[in-house]
Amino acid sequence: MIDREPIKFAAHLIQGEEKISIEAKYASKFSLLIRFLNGHKADPGSEFSKLVFSKNGEEIKIGPCQYITEPKKNGYQGRIVFSQDVYDLNSLFFEDKLEKLQAEFFNLPLILAHKDDIEKCFREYTANLNYDLNVYKNLFDCLDARYADEPEVIKQHVQDAIIETEGRKFMTFLDEKLEEFEDIIINYSKKDHERHGYYLRKQLWTFIMCSPFMTRTNLKPRGYSGDSVMMKMIYDNKYEGNSTFGKLMHKHPSEHPAAQAVRNRRDIITKMLSKVKSTDMKTSSKKIKVLSVACGPAFEIQDVLTTAEDCSRFHFTLLDQDATALSEAASQLTQLEKKLGTKIEVEFLNESVRTMLTTPKLDKMWGQFDYIYSMGLFDYLTTPVAKAVIEKLYQTLNIGGKMAIGNFHISNPSRFYMEYWLDWVLYYRTEHEFIDLLKNVPSAGTKVLFEDTGSQMFLQVRKYDN
Amino acid sequence: MNNSIEFDVKPDWDEIEKVRNESADFLQSHELSDDTIHSLSMIISELIENGLKYGDFKTEGNKVVVIINVATNMITVEVLNPVDESAYEHLSKLDKTIQWIRGYQDPFEAYIERIKEVSKKPLHDMESGIGLVRIAYEGNALLDFFVAENNMLNVSVVSNLEKGDRVSS
Ligand SMILES: Nc1ncnc2c1ncn2[C@@H]1O[C@H](COP(=O)(O)OP(=O)(O)OP(=O)(O)O)[C@@H](O)[C@H]1O
Ligand SMILES: [Mg+2]
Repeated sequence: MIDREPIKFAAHLIQGEEKISIEAKYASKFSLLIRFLNGHKADPGSEFSKLVFSKNGEEIKIGPCQYITEPKKNGYQGRIVFSQDVYDLNSLFFEDKLEKLQAEFFNLPLILAHKDDIEKCFREYTANLNYDLNVYKNLFDCLDARYADEPEVIKQHVQDAIIETEGRKFMTFLDEKLEEFEDIIINYSKKDHERHGYYLRKQLWTFIMCSPFMTRTNLKPRGYSGDSVMMKMIYDNKYEGNSTFGKLMHKHPSEHPAAQAVRNRRDIITKMLSKVKSTDMKTSSKKIKVLSVACGPAFEIQDVLTTAEDCSRFHFTLLDQDATALSEAASQLTQLEKKLGTKIEVEFLNESVRTMLTTPKLDKMWGQFDYIYSMGLFDYLTTPVAKAVIEKLYQTLNIGGKMAIGNFHISNPSRFYMEYWLDWVLYYRTEHEFIDLLKNVPSAGTKVLFEDTGSQMFLQVRKYDN
Repeated sequence: MNNSIEFDVKPDWDEIEKVRNESADFLQSHELSDDTIHSLSMIISELIENGLKYGDFKTEGNKVVVIINVATNMITVEVLNPVDESAYEHLSKLDKTIQWIRGYQDPFEAYIERIKEVSKKPLHDMESGIGLVRIAYEGNALLDFFVAENNMLNVSVVSNLEKGDRVSS
C-alpha cells in the first residue's frame, strides 16, 4: 500500500539569482502547497525557474513553475504548479520516480513511423473497413436510441429482433471482410503480420473497444490471454455489450471456429474422464487421480461430477499460475458439493508450469496420476519448454495412465482474426511437431485427434511399462 | 555440417565477447545473412548477460551453457544457468515479463511501453530492464523458459528463418 501521509519538506524556489526559502507540502498529483519563509512576499503568477529540494539525500531540481494564490489553507499561502515540464508528484513521492507527464510523447516519432511499411492494399482495406464499420455503428446506434425509452422487456424484444435481422447480416458482412483480409495477408512474413496487425488495431480501436470480448483479449487485465473471464465469455457464447453494435462485435468472435473449438474441448474432456471411470478404472477400488495443468476455472469438472457417486470416484489436482482462477474453481466446487451433498476431493497448486518442475510438491506426485489433461497451455509453450513440461507430466503418470494435451493446429481458421483483431497469438503446431514433443520418451503410445472444427488437436498419450 | 553447437561459458564478463564471435562463425557456416547473424548475436549476448547476472556461481565449476540449433526453417538458442533460492524472485519477474511481451502480437508494443517506463527516471539506480524486450522486438524472436529439476534455468529463443534470412536466398 502506498503511504499517503502528508509530506512536508523544506525547499527553495529560484528566481533569477535569488534563492527563496519555502516550506512545501504534497497537495495533489500536480501541485504543492507552499508557505514562504523569512517574510518573503510573492505576487500571484510569479514565475520561478526551479524548485529545489532534497529527497533521500538526493538533490531534486524541477521547474519552471508558477505560484498561484489560494485562500489560506492551514497556513499555506498558495500553490506551486509546473509551467512547462509537468512532473507527476505521486510518482515522485510514492514511487520514487521522476516522471514527466509529457513522457507519454517520448515514443511519438517511433509510433508515427511504425505505419511506414504498411502495404498499400492493406491501407485501403483498413480505410474501407473503417468507413463501413462507422456506417454500421451509426445505424445500430440510431436504432438503439429510438427504442431507448421503452420498458426493459420491450427493449429486449426489439433488440433481439434487430439482431436476428440486420444484426446477423452485419455478422455475415464481417465474415466476408475477414475472407477478403486473409487474401491480402496470405504471403506476409511474421514481421509483416505483426506490423499490419498493430496498424489494424490502431485504426479500428474504437470498434474493438465496443466488444467486451475483443476488449478483454486486447487489454489482458490479468497479464495473459484466455483468463477465466475470457473462458466464461467463450462458454456462454451470448450477445454481451452495452449496445446492439457492441453485442454483435462480441458475438462474432465467440462464434468463430477457435471459440467453438474451446467449447468442444470441454465436452471432449468430460467424455474422456467419464470413460476412464466407466471402463479403464471400472473395477478399481482406488480413486481416479486426475491432474489438470493450467486448469483455469475448471468448469468442465462440473460436467464430470454429476452425482455423489461420481465425486466418490475422483481425486482432482488443479494447477494454475493464476490464484484468482484457482479460487474461482474452488468456489464452483464448493457450490457443487452443496448441491450434491457430498465432498469433492481436490487439491490446488498455485504454480507456474515454467517453474513447477523444481517444486518439491510436484516431486511427491511422481507416478501418481491416472489421468492428466491440459487444454489451453501448450499453445503458449515453444518447443524446448513444451518438451520439458510434457516429459515431466509423463513422469507423473502411473503405468497405464493416460494424458490428453490440447494444441491449436497451424491451420486454425481463426488464426489471423485472433492475431490481428484480438491481439491473441498462439504457438501453433502441426500433428508431426506435436507428436515429436514426446520423441525422447519411447514408452509413450501417442496419437493425435481433432475436435469437430478441425482447429484444435489433442495429443493422446498412454504410458506403457518399458 | 553440424546443426548444433554448444558452448560452456565461465562466469566472467569477458567470455561474452568470445562466445559471440564463435557463435557468429558457426552461424556464418550455415550461410545466414549478416542481419540474421547480427540479431542472433545480440540475443546471445543479452541472454548470457542475464545468465551471469542472475545465475548462481557460488559453487566451483558452475557455468552458463549456450546451445544453438539451426534447422531448416528455425533457429533455437538456449541459454542455461544454475539458479538458487535467491533467484526465485527474478524467476517470477522473468515469467511475468515473458508472458507480457508475448501477449502482444507486435513486440513493438512491448518495446515502446518499456522505453516509456525507462524514460520515467527512477531516483535510485534500477536495471534498465530492456534486454528481453530487445530480443523480442529487434531480434524478432519468441522467448520462453523453464527451470529443470536440477535447478538449471533454461531461457530459450526460437526464431523463424524466412525469405532473406539466408545468404543464398
Ligand atoms: N537468467 C535469468 N535468471 C533469472 N532471472 C532472470 C534471468 N534473465 C532475466 N531475468 C529476470 O527478468 C528481468 C528482465 O530481464 P531483462 O534482460 O529484460 O532486463 P535486465 O537484465 O533487468 O536489464 P537489462 O537487460 O536492460 O540490462 C530481470 O530483471 C530478471 O529479474
Ligand atoms: Mg538483461
